[in-house]
Amino acid sequence: MAALPAKVEAIIEKFGPHPARPSALRLDPGVEPDKVVRTHCCFCGQQCGIQLLVHGNQLIGFEPWMEFPFNQGKLCPKGVKRYLQGSHPDRLLHALERDPSSSHGFRAVQYDHAVSRTAGEIKRIQSQYGPDALAVISGASLTTEKTYLMGKFARLCLKTPYIDYNGRLCMVSAAAGNKKAFGIDRAANPWADILKAQVVWISGANVAECAPITTDYVWQARENGARIIVVDPRVTPIARTCDLFLPIKPGRDVALFNGILHIMIEKGWIARDFVETYTVGFDSVAQYVRSWNPKYTSEVTGISEGAIRQAAELWGTTTTSFLLHARGIEHHSHGVQNVLGAINIVLASGRIGREGCGYATITGQGNGQGGREHGQKCDQLPGARDISDPEHRAHIAAVWGTGPGELQGPGVDVYEIFRKISLGEIKGLLSISFNPLVSLPDNNFVRAMLEKLEFYCAIDFFLNETAYHADIVLPGSLHEEDEGVVTTAEGRTIKINQAVTPPGDARQDWLIIQDIAGALGRERGFTFASPREIFEELRKASRGGVADYSGLTYEKIEENFGVFWPCPDEDHPGTPRLFEPGSWNPIARGAGPFYFPDGKARFCVASYSPPAESTDGEFPFILTTGRVVSHYLTGAQTRRIGPLADHTPEPFLEIHPHPARELGVSDGDRVMIESRRGQMVLSARVAETIRPDTVFIPYHWPWEKSVNQLTISAQDPISRIPEYKVCAVRIRRYAGS
Amino acid sequence: MMPGKPEVRRALFWGVLFTAILAGLIVVGSRNLSHFDAALVGYTFAVLFALFGIVYRYAIWLQRPPTAMYWKQGWQAFLAPRHLISNLAHWVGRCVTDIALNRFIWIRGRLRWLAHWTIMWGCALAVGITFPLVFGWLHFESVPGDFDSYRISLFGFPTADFSVHSLFGFLLFHGLVWSAVFVIVGVMIAMRRRMRDEGAAAVQIFAEDFLPLVLLFAVSLTGLLLTSSYTWMKGYGYDFLAILHAVTVIFTLLWLPFGKFFHIFQRPAQLGVTFYKDLGRRGESATCRRCAKPFSSRMHVEDLIRVEKELGYSFEAEDPIGHYQWVCPPCRRALFALAQGRMWHGPGSQRAPGIPAQGSSHVNPGLGEGPLGEEDRENFHP
Amino acid sequence: MPVPEHLEFFIDPNRCIGCQACVQACAECDTHRGYSMIQLDYIARSESPQTVPIVCMHCESPTCAEVCPADAVKRTEDGVVQSARKPRCIACNNCVLACPFGVPKMETPMELMMKCDMCYDRTSVGKKPMCASVCPSQALFYGARDQIERQRPRSRPIHRFLFGRQIIVTKVHLMVPFESPVAPMDVIAAFRETVIGHVFGPNFSAETMVGGGK
Repeated sequence: MAALPAKVEAIIEKFGPHPARPSALRLDPGVEPDKVVRTHCCFCGQQCGIQLLVHGNQLIGFEPWMEFPFNQGKLCPKGVKRYLQGSHPDRLLHALERDPSSSHGFRAVQYDHAVSRTAGEIKRIQSQYGPDALAVISGASLTTEKTYLMGKFARLCLKTPYIDYNGRLCMVSAAAGNKKAFGIDRAANPWADILKAQVVWISGANVAECAPITTDYVWQARENGARIIVVDPRVTPIARTCDLFLPIKPGRDVALFNGILHIMIEKGWIARDFVETYTVGFDSVAQYVRSWNPKYTSEVTGISEGAIRQAAELWGTTTTSFLLHARGIEHHSHGVQNVLGAINIVLASGRIGREGCGYATITGQGNGQGGREHGQKCDQLPGARDISDPEHRAHIAAVWGTGPGELQGPGVDVYEIFRKISLGEIKGLLSISFNPLVSLPDNNFVRAMLEKLEFYCAIDFFLNETAYHADIVLPGSLHEEDEGVVTTAEGRTIKINQAVTPPGDARQDWLIIQDIAGALGRERGFTFASPREIFEELRKASRGGVADYSGLTYEKIEENFGVFWPCPDEDHPGTPRLFEPGSWNPIARGAGPFYFPDGKARFCVASYSPPAESTDGEFPFILTTGRVVSHYLTGAQTRRIGPLADHTPEPFLEIHPHPARELGVSDGDRVMIESRRGQMVLSARVAETIRPDTVFIPYHWPWEKSVNQLTISAQDPISRIPEYKVCAVRIRRYAGS
Repeated sequence: MMPGKPEVRRALFWGVLFTAILAGLIVVGSRNLSHFDAALVGYTFAVLFALFGIVYRYAIWLQRPPTAMYWKQGWQAFLAPRHLISNLAHWVGRCVTDIALNRFIWIRGRLRWLAHWTIMWGCALAVGITFPLVFGWLHFESVPGDFDSYRISLFGFPTADFSVHSLFGFLLFHGLVWSAVFVIVGVMIAMRRRMRDEGAAAVQIFAEDFLPLVLLFAVSLTGLLLTSSYTWMKGYGYDFLAILHAVTVIFTLLWLPFGKFFHIFQRPAQLGVTFYKDLGRRGESATCRRCAKPFSSRMHVEDLIRVEKELGYSFEAEDPIGHYQWVCPPCRRALFALAQGRMWHGPGSQRAPGIPAQGSSHVNPGLGEGPLGEEDRENFHP
Repeated sequence: MPVPEHLEFFIDPNRCIGCQACVQACAECDTHRGYSMIQLDYIARSESPQTVPIVCMHCESPTCAEVCPADAVKRTEDGVVQSARKPRCIACNNCVLACPFGVPKMETPMELMMKCDMCYDRTSVGKKPMCASVCPSQALFYGARDQIERQRPRSRPIHRFLFGRQIIVTKVHLMVPFESPVAPMDVIAAFRETVIGHVFGPNFSAETMVGGGK
């Protein structure tokens, strides 16, 4: 494969995005739905309950699902308009084969031909270069059954170690930090505990736009008397009226947490009994934070000393609390350190594992939680098992009917997969529901690597921008076209229900994977007849693991409006709150509530290092990136939904009036933004809602509107998350058209 | 003894006057009732009563402060000598697009338009044929010496002759059949919408929304049955049908001043509104006293302030506002939230006196889910 | 059917995050499918993310109806001020200009004023209006008074507003601090305010913030 098979404009003309708007049946208030399907929104990790209205195999609207306890009918604009992704003009109805002679680059082919061509290419590459020459990259918006199958497919069928997923770009720093400190990677508390907290600390989470439903929990806590602390370089909607706003310089979160812990120790606001009984490692952390006095902390973080002291006092002296964080502290080359810093102030306060005392990361992707538990992460096997642990390997090998020796060892993260393409080690790629050309940092490199591949097969329901480079595109399934389970940000496993059947030649993703396995002649272990059958095997595979689903059934999940894992047997009610004193887990086996053999949590030194790229005279601004409320991830879905595209049709540069004035930039002016890796032109949104040393660009767009042309591919050494939240740029007024 | 209130007295006066004029015209037009068909006297009295009711209600309506304002200003705008020629041209154009073609309903929905347009023209055709016949203004006489021809007599003056067997004759004598078919088609479409549209179902009222359709349907159906009776069934049940038809028609006529039908007389006021708006656009804009941006016309704001005073409102405020009407609608929304936010968080960022506020903007710039149309944008989001 | 008496609408712009769920959901309601009636504005986007959502406040004596020359705006007995009656509305814009809360919208090509009718198709059968059903921040709340009083002990609903010398009483309530004086809220009192809440305003020192990483 080489460059794109046709001009980008020509491909867009044929495959979109074309924004869909309500029309015909969807505008006719006289049309009665044939059925009302209770399922969930596909557009973030909160997985709000929603009822889809179906008429003649078409989604015609929605009705709030008031009974679902997490959101009680509430939805953000994405949820409201999600039904418009159904029956979409851009929907892939046939398999496609790259065809540069066609005006739009692809020709529709028989599904069977596309599958056998894919299998043929996989065989050729693997026999020519070895099994490791093929990589699989997968999505964290898929149902857990599919993510389980993807891991099994890579390891059992393709026998490649190289599988990773786009959750790598999302919550992995939190996951790594949680595993280091708690031994388990899951929100420690259900959101209901937020309501009982007296202090809610939100670090690096634009709750209003990225997890809108959580807003009501925060405001409700405030009604109940809580003080709200928000740490963010931008005045986000939730920061606007919070009680204490800490306008941190991007990339300095761990410094703030260390500074807070310093004051807590100094003032004696440490829960000594808890630290003594339930944790280890406090002393070395206390030693480390000694240098983080308020003055030094203030210098590093850009927050005034007074505000830091105020925050420490609020946090140190309260009786109940909830700390939430998200990508703002995680998307860093030291993201895991930031997370550990946050966990340290939680552990030092002793406020965890009790009602109203909690901690969680706000998972961003649809199945960000479930999607990282069951084997599509490069170093994990189902049940959140460790691929390097012989015992864990043996358990999974037995479930899969193979020998542990047959399973490959750990692979590499998704960015490293692209580096391996660059080194010529990986020649073939299979992707599903992943759009790395938009989502990976420094994506000019990613594009070059896609062009270097010998074979690339993409499975998706729309032709995403990465798939423009594909040799074969297989038409997969939309969220509402399949059933399965998903685990939410809270750790609540919920059930997705099928509302409509896939149109044309499109089919459920798990069927496509099984068809490829069949065409390869390796169908053993890939003959499931339904998602339920996959789930039954997943239950067995997860039994005894940390993420234990063995006590879950579809019926139990639906009856209880979701069940929190771990749920080790069918009579078990699930575990909404982790780490309760006296609770049992398979690692500690009664020694304590945390998931280590001694049952104790770990204080870990959270060491500060500046972001990989510093600002300087040449590139004087910090660029930080993030979401807007009307779009989801790379926008492959939401840019196709007219009313959402209308809301934010384009990315913009948010910049403070002070620097804007110096640059001669007024609101709405076109500006050129350049980093060491790329450049782009956008409209400026001049607003007093961001630090003067920082600028912000949302990331949901491709090509010349993709901010990931500018971002840096620096990664956290532990979690391998890219540093989306800080890189250095320069800005000038752009006179061209 | 006249009832007390002056506006009622005025309305009664106009009602009686119009009714008397029509009665006089009937007498004169039917040549002292010589062409008047005594069998149709019930219809005549129903029309006279309906006219009284309509004029009475119209007169009451015109005396409400906002209506009076528009009535006066609309005519002044229309008759302004400088623009009279172009106004007349616009008037003709708007009569065609709005009244004859119902363009504004076309935009609301194609089926809705079809329903309204067929009902409207069906009724207009029927009224055009029957009223002159009933009043004795129009009648047909046989042409002496030619059994196959009729002569049309208008207000007693003989006009053209035509052959019974001509196409014109066929169309003319079956005019009521066509009108009935038109009305029935429209009523069916409208009924279908009312039966299945849940939005419509929630706000509809029987007397307001269903009864008119039922009446029109009854009039049309009984009319068609009459035609069928004498055309194909040798007059079977004709007398009964004639009475039934008369009852439906008379009830409909009597209902004209009360229910939805009154919009037939009220609605043409929209033409006057357009001239008022034209005048406003040609004149000065109102300027918001908070954001200093233009909104609507100064004339309209001043007229509204007057109307509100007459209605007993006191939106007068301290300077520099003067009257709340001088704050544009988006700034009213902003003030509402700022006043509440201030109660929660104390005073916010303040602007210096004389520096206009930034002015708010719709969160969704897309028209589809934001402001509705261009005028809305001008009014709200300058 | 009338809207049940015990269910009421409460708004708290203080909670609003401007996410636009209400705007998008409003267009899904059957009485005005395809048209969004709720007003959601940035108050001053270049200064703050502050937004204001306003549904029709359903005044007891609605100015919009009083100034309507065509008698097109009617308040039903349950206190809901309905959208303009289509046959009557002559698109004169009086209601749009007169409403003290800035609520009605004018659809010029259709020669029709349209406004929030509290999702009458839903509320008249006991359901919540679309906007309040979905509102993620519950800045828009629809439910029983005892429920909101229980849930929001810091807040108190009011429904009397002062505009100059005019007091307007509404069916929809606004949430204000529990301790605030029991008097109509003076809307004009905020005439000098630009925005409420944290900003990186002129007093925010840029010097301490700009510079290389430590």
